[in-house]
Amino acid sequence: MRQSRISLSITVILTIIALIYLYPLFLIVINSLKTFAEITINAVALPESPQFSNYVETFKLMKYPNLFLNTLIATGIGVAGVVLVSSMAGYKLSRTRTRYSWVMFIILIAPMMIPFHSFMIALVKVAKVLHLTGSPWGLGVMYWGLGSPLALFLYHGFVKSIPRDLDDCAMIDGASPMRAFFQVILPLLQPVTVSVIVINAMWMWNDFLLPLLLLSGSKKALTLQLAAYNFFGQYKVEWHYAMAGVLLTIIPAVMIFLALQRHIIKGMIAGAVKT
Amino acid sequence: MNLHQKRQRTSFLIFLSFTVPALATILLSVEIPFLMSVIYSFTKWNGLDKIPQFIGLANYIEIFTNDPDALYALGFTLRMAAFTVVFTNIFALALAVFLDSDIRGKNALRVAFYIPNIISLIVIGYVWRFIFTKGFDSFYEMTGLGVFMFSWLGDKDLAFFSLVLVRVWQQLGFYLVIYIAGLQTVPKDLIEAATIDGASPVIRFFRVTLPMIMPSITVAVFYSLSNGLKVFDVILSLTSGGPGNATMSIALDIYRTAFITGRFGYGTAKSVVLFFVILVLTVFQVKVFKQREVEV
Repeated sequence: MRQSRISLSITVILTIIALIYLYPLFLIVINSLKTFAEITINAVALPESPQFSNYVETFKLMKYPNLFLNTLIATGIGVAGVVLVSSMAGYKLSRTRTRYSWVMFIILIAPMMIPFHSFMIALVKVAKVLHLTGSPWGLGVMYWGLGSPLALFLYHGFVKSIPRDLDDCAMIDGASPMRAFFQVILPLLQPVTVSVIVINAMWMWNDFLLPLLLLSGSKKALTLQLAAYNFFGQYKVEWHYAMAGVLLTIIPAVMIFLALQRHIIKGMIAGAVKT
Repeated sequence: MNLHQKRQRTSFLIFLSFTVPALATILLSVEIPFLMSVIYSFTKWNGLDKIPQFIGLANYIEIFTNDPDALYALGFTLRMAAFTVVFTNIFALALAVFLDSDIRGKNALRVAFYIPNIISLIVIGYVWRFIFTKGFDSFYEMTGLGVFMFSWLGDKDLAFFSLVLVRVWQQLGFYLVIYIAGLQTVPKDLIEAATIDGASPVIRFFRVTLPMIMPSITVAVFYSLSNGLKVFDVILSLTSGGPGNATMSIALDIYRTAFITGRFGYGTAKSVVLFFVILVLTVFQVKVFKQREVEV
C-alpha cells in the first residue's frame, strides 16, 4: 500500500515536470493559432478563436509542398545510399579476416572521429567540382559518405552473430556472392537496418548546416529546415506566421516519431551504445 | 597463374566489389575534404583563386597570437560544452533513476521528454527566441517577477545560460534513454544483496548502481562532450553569436571566417584546430572514464 502510494506520487510529480517541460511547445501551438494583435497583447493566453488561416497563409508563403518534397528526396536518397553501401561493406569486412580487410575497415570507420565542421569548407569545394550543389539529389548523395562510417560499424558488429554456414549454403545453391548477400544475408540484418534508417533519417531530415552550405544559393532546392531559417529571418515581426511555420516544419517528424516511437528510441540507442 | 592464386584473386575482386562503394563515398564526403582542409590550412585562399598561395604556419600563428575573437570563441565553446555536459548528464541520470523504477506511465513520460530531441536545433533556437522575448514579457505581466524582465538574450552572461538551458532542454531526452538502458543492465540481485546488508537507497545508488552503469556514463558524456564542442545551429538561430561576439562558438566562427568573410584558407586552419580540440578532449575523457568502469 505504502509502496504504491509512493509510486503514484512519483508519477504525479514527473507528469507535472513533463508538462512544464513541454510547455514551450504548447505556447508555440497556441500562438500559431492567434492573430498578430493577440500575440502582441498576451503570448500566454489562449486564442479567442483559432486562426487556422495562419497555416494556410504560411503554407503558401513558404511554398511548403516544394520544401517537403526536396527534404524527402534528400533524406530518401541519403538513407537508401547509406544502407546500401554500408551493409555491403560491413558484411564483407566482417567476413574477411585478412590484413587488407583490417586496413580497409580502419579507413572506413576513421571518419567517426572527424567532426563535420573540420572539413566542411573543403567539402563545399568537392561538391561544386562534382556538380552536387544546388539540388536535393546532390545533397542526398553527399550524405552517403557522411552517414556510412557509423552505419558500417553497426553492420560489421552485427554480422558476427550470423552463422557463416548461411553464406556457404547460398553459394552452394549457385548464387553469386552479391545475390547471396542481398537475398539471404541482408534480410537477416534487419535490426541494424532499422537502427541505421532511424538514425540517418532523423539526422538528414533535421540537418541544417549541409543544406545551408550546398543549397543556399538556389531557391528552388531549399529543404524544410533551411527554408524555415530563412522564413524566420524574413517574418521577424509577424510572429503568427513564424509560429505556424515552426509547427509546419516540425509536424512531419513529430508525427512519425509518435507513430513509431518504440522503434525510433530503440534505434537511436542501439546506434549510440554500440560504439 | 595456378589455381590457388586465381582463387585468391577472385576473392579479392569480390571483396573490392563489396567495399569500394563505401570507400568511394567516404573518401568523397569526408576524407578527401579533410585532407584538403589540412593542406589549405597552410595557404592563403579566398575560395575563388585557382591556386591558393602557400604561407606556411602563418594561419595558425594568427589564430593564437593575433585573433582574440577566435580565442574567445574557443574559450566560450569549452565553457559552454562543460556546462551542457554536466547539466545534461546529471538531470538525465536523475530522471532516468525515477523512470526506471516501477511507476505507472513511464513509457509515456519517456516519450514526452524525448520530443524536443526530434525537433531540429535551428527551429528549437527560434522557438526559444519567442519564449525569451514575447513569452517572458507576458509572464512578467502575469507574475510581476523580475527574472522575466532580464535580457535573457541581450546580456552577455545571461545569453550564455540561455543557450545552456535550451541545449540541455533539447537533448535531455536522448541521454535519459541512454541512462534508462544502462540502468536496466544492473543485476537486480546485486541491489537486493545491498538492501539486505542494510544499505539505504542513497548508498545503494552511489555504491552499487553508479559503478555498474559507468559504461553508460562514459558513452553519454562522450556524446554530449563531442556534440557540445560542435555547437552551431542553436546559437545561429537563438543569438546569432551575439550580443556582439559574446556567444560565438568555434563552429560558427569557422563558418563566418570562410563563408562570410571569404578567408577560406584561414577558416580551414581554424577547422583543423577544432578537430584537434575535439580529438584530444574526447580521447582524454574516454580514457579517464574507462578506468573507472568495473567488471561484474
